[in-house]
Amino acid sequence: MKLTPRVFGALVLATVVFFYGTTSQVAWLFLLGYSLYALVAAAFLYALWNSRGVRARLAFIGADPGPHSPLDALPEAWLRTAPRPRPVFEGDRVRLALELRSLGRARGPARWSGWVAGKEVSAAAGLVPAAGWRVERGVGPVRRGGVASEGWRLEAGDPLGMFRVETRFEPAAVTLALPRFATLSLRPRVRELEASLAAPRAGAGNELFGVREYRLGDPLRRIHWRSSARRGELVVREYEPPGQQLLALLLDPDPPSPEVADQIARLAASEAWDCLRAGGRVLAWAPGLEPTTPAEARSLWAILEWLARYPALEPADTDPPPSAEAVALLGSAQAGVLEALAAAGRRGAEARAWLIGFQADVGVPARSVELAWPL
Amino acid sequence: MAALSLRLPRSPTEDSPVARAFAFGGFAVATLAIALYGVDPVALVALPLVAWGHWVSYRRRRLPRGFLRQLLLSGLVFACVAYFLLDSTTAVFGGQLPQAHFAIMLLGVTSFDLKTRRNCYSSLWISLAILYLAAVYAWDYWFWLFAAAWILCLAGMWAASHLRGWEAGFRFPRGAVALTLAGSLVAGSACFALLPEPAAPPGGPLVISLPGSAAFKGELENPALPLVEFGTGPAGANGSIDLRYRGRLGAGVVMYVRTGAPAYWRGLVFDTYRDGAWTASRRETRNLPPYVRPGFLPAPEAPNLGTFLQVFRVTRRLPGVVLAAAPLQSAYVPVSELRLDEYGTLHSPEPFRPGQTYSVVSYLPDLSPRRLSEPSAEPDARDPLDLDAATLSDAARRLAREATAGAANRYQAVAALTDFLQSRYRYSLELGRVPAGRDPVDWFLFDVRIGYCEQFATAETLLLRSLGIPARLATGYSTGDYDPVLNQAVVRERDAHAWVEAYFPGRGWVPVDPSPGFPALAAASFPNRWAAAGLARVIPHLELAAPTAVLGTLGWLAFGPGLVAALVALGLALAGVLALRWPRGSARPAPGEGELMGLYDRLQRRLRRRRAPPETPLEYSLSVDAGAWAGLLGEVTDAVNRGAYGGRWPDRRQVTVWRRRLS
Repeated sequence: MKLTPRVFGALVLATVVFFYGTTSQVAWLFLLGYSLYALVAAAFLYALWNSRGVRARLAFIGADPGPHSPLDALPEAWLRTAPRPRPVFEGDRVRLALELRSLGRARGPARWSGWVAGKEVSAAAGLVPAAGWRVERGVGPVRRGGVASEGWRLEAGDPLGMFRVETRFEPAAVTLALPRFATLSLRPRVRELEASLAAPRAGAGNELFGVREYRLGDPLRRIHWRSSARRGELVVREYEPPGQQLLALLLDPDPPSPEVADQIARLAASEAWDCLRAGGRVLAWAPGLEPTTPAEARSLWAILEWLARYPALEPADTDPPPSAEAVALLGSAQAGVLEALAAAGRRGAEARAWLIGFQADVGVPARSVELAWPL
Repeated sequence: MAALSLRLPRSPTEDSPVARAFAFGGFAVATLAIALYGVDPVALVALPLVAWGHWVSYRRRRLPRGFLRQLLLSGLVFACVAYFLLDSTTAVFGGQLPQAHFAIMLLGVTSFDLKTRRNCYSSLWISLAILYLAAVYAWDYWFWLFAAAWILCLAGMWAASHLRGWEAGFRFPRGAVALTLAGSLVAGSACFALLPEPAAPPGGPLVISLPGSAAFKGELENPALPLVEFGTGPAGANGSIDLRYRGRLGAGVVMYVRTGAPAYWRGLVFDTYRDGAWTASRRETRNLPPYVRPGFLPAPEAPNLGTFLQVFRVTRRLPGVVLAAAPLQSAYVPVSELRLDEYGTLHSPEPFRPGQTYSVVSYLPDLSPRRLSEPSAEPDARDPLDLDAATLSDAARRLAREATAGAANRYQAVAALTDFLQSRYRYSLELGRVPAGRDPVDWFLFDVRIGYCEQFATAETLLLRSLGIPARLATGYSTGDYDPVLNQAVVRERDAHAWVEAYFPGRGWVPVDPSPGFPALAAASFPNRWAAAGLARVIPHLELAAPTAVLGTLGWLAFGPGLVAALVALGLALAGVLALRWPRGSARPAPGEGELMGLYDRLQRRLRRRRAPPETPLEYSLSVDAGAWAGLLGEVTDAVNRGAYGGRWPDRRQVTVWRRRLS
């Protein structure tokens, strides 16, 4: 229980009035003095009672899309698979519900305040009905990553502002702001194959899916000679469904600034979006950080959530994933990423790079961009 | 060493109209009180003006204070000061409550410039000063309503400014807040009624208004108190009392006295009796300033029990005699100068007008029988005037000797004679005229055997003188209707009185009252400051005199029973508040939300981590390290989810089982 300066002011006033009563023989001053003392005591009891019965809750209720939000680009089918009721992207304005509840009968006053995404949010009510009280607050635009709530405290006291009981709460995450993305229109259209040999299923890589035309570089042992004879052209066995090419995103583990990290995440998300939309799979990896798992390779949301947390990920020492296509996203000439990119190229993968905020010869086709979004 | 900053912290602009309304409410309550109890309806004119000022202040609260505007307001404030000085000294506006008017006018001017919260508080404190002035004059118990209303206005302003600081609307749980406010008023009233009122030595007389300008012109002109009717009228200038005449005294209020002890309000003293009339032979006086400090007045001879303050508010025109309890320590009378006569009475240069107020601090001499019976080495008063009983008849002298036969000392003689007169003679205002040629004293003692205060006092004075005991006649007013709750005496015309002052060596002039129905000796101790005793008087047949007398002798220990009662009441109130937390009645089928959520809170405290605001109970249970409480946490979490989202709260017994597992 905290005492505010008003308590001392009230006690001083009561004492002064009482003193004047003792010296002036004006009996009414004793009544005033005693009543003021009693008022302080009653305020204390009220604060005690009020603080025991008020509860608070912070709830995320939605978000208002910000400029260049990819929300409109997402089909309804994709939105239905989102893990949260409504995905939040960087730049959106988050809507929160601050709720106060009273156990039993109505109480009050109470104040519920804290910080969300670096902005102070508060709500207070003189009357907290038994049915509850709720107010909505907007915070934003939010940055990519976890939208944290911290410094939350519930203050309940007496109506006169003399006593206050403060309950503090642990920090927690309200929601996760995903990186924005947009199509980069760099993905080649995947051609479809014959349906007679098609057995569409997600496989581990050694199930025959179908055949396609031979491309330079395909291993000779994969040439399906019977189909080739029938067609009159060389065709090879396909062990994955059409377009199920694996895209490896190789990210800089230590971007020089949060803005560079944001841009890396956006570009990575855009690459992943294009690949997944075309039916491919995506794995994200950064040297020294926990990568995405193959089970999540087809999930846009899992990749976006990984990118939302990037680079604040759990440490791990893993090898870069093998893939047919590797894209590096660098904020500097990071050796680990460049090495992984080179290795992918040696394995026959299509390698390229995005350079954010700098230019360099990285040995593969690269595009240098600044921090503005959209590009 | 860093410089000490003496500047007050900046006060925020008061944006709450509700807080300002309460500040105005406090002023309205105080103004109504002063208008009623000060009998000053003119004060009500300020109400609409101040309301307008508050409105203007609220509208302009965000605007900067302009220089010209500040200049105008300062000028108006000085005009208020000028009014106060003029009205106090010259009564140019009637001289009615100049101090209260000054405070009201000051508030009226400053109400147009109430910008910050501190300004609004200042307005409230000025209204408290006005309420205090009204309390000085309040003569009935209804003033309690004004005091309670002012406290509610103060509480309202506190609440409004507090909620405004939180950016919350001015709404409360009505029941709880009403109970809190009512409880505090009841508790305050109970403390007021049950706890003794401590009395500190007064710091000095109250200065209600400034001294006037009228001065003495030559000799003292002392219109006698209207005890008797002279040929020149009730306020005759002869300065004497003639026993052959008697004025008609009604029930009209003469003055209100706020006093720490009931006493006789002594005025003129007479020492020479000739031909049925008393006169004062000593004419020498000494000039004194209007504020008479201790030391300016002669020190009393008798040891004292302390001092007490009296504030007199005159309600009708009275002679310029400062009525007060004797002996005096200090005084303040709002006149240009005072004169002290040889009998210890202060005189004003002009009669007191209705509404005028003066204050006196008097000693309460120790006049207990034990003290008065003690022999003293001090010399006796031997002024022949105080022993002159030449006009007394032989029969009266014999009567005096018979009445005091067996008295071993002066006190016993005085007490015996007083008792003799009180018991053998009857008090009556219906008295015929003294037959021509008959001595009034003999006519009273031997013929009619009835009389009023002057007969009794005259007879005792002369009888005491015949016994060699110096005595003189004192006049003034008896206590009047004294209310120990309000520390107030209402003095009426019919309270005009005469009594005896007998000299005791080492004790000085001791007031003695031989009139039947009056206490023989003045009060020998301060009254029990026990409001309950006064309140008990309104209950018929209830006698609390003995218990309160006992409690009064306990001094500070007398607070004990009251404090115990207050603690018991507080404990009951706390128990009642705590009982509100739990559902009433044993027939309730389910514990409800309260008990389960209370258990959930305890569990979180046990786990040393509270659930974060956006965390669901399930997320909390998965993230917290529950250790040995994991199982219990899981069950309670399920119950919370079912209750919060499904409205199916668990049975009370189940909650009890969980609680036992937690213990």
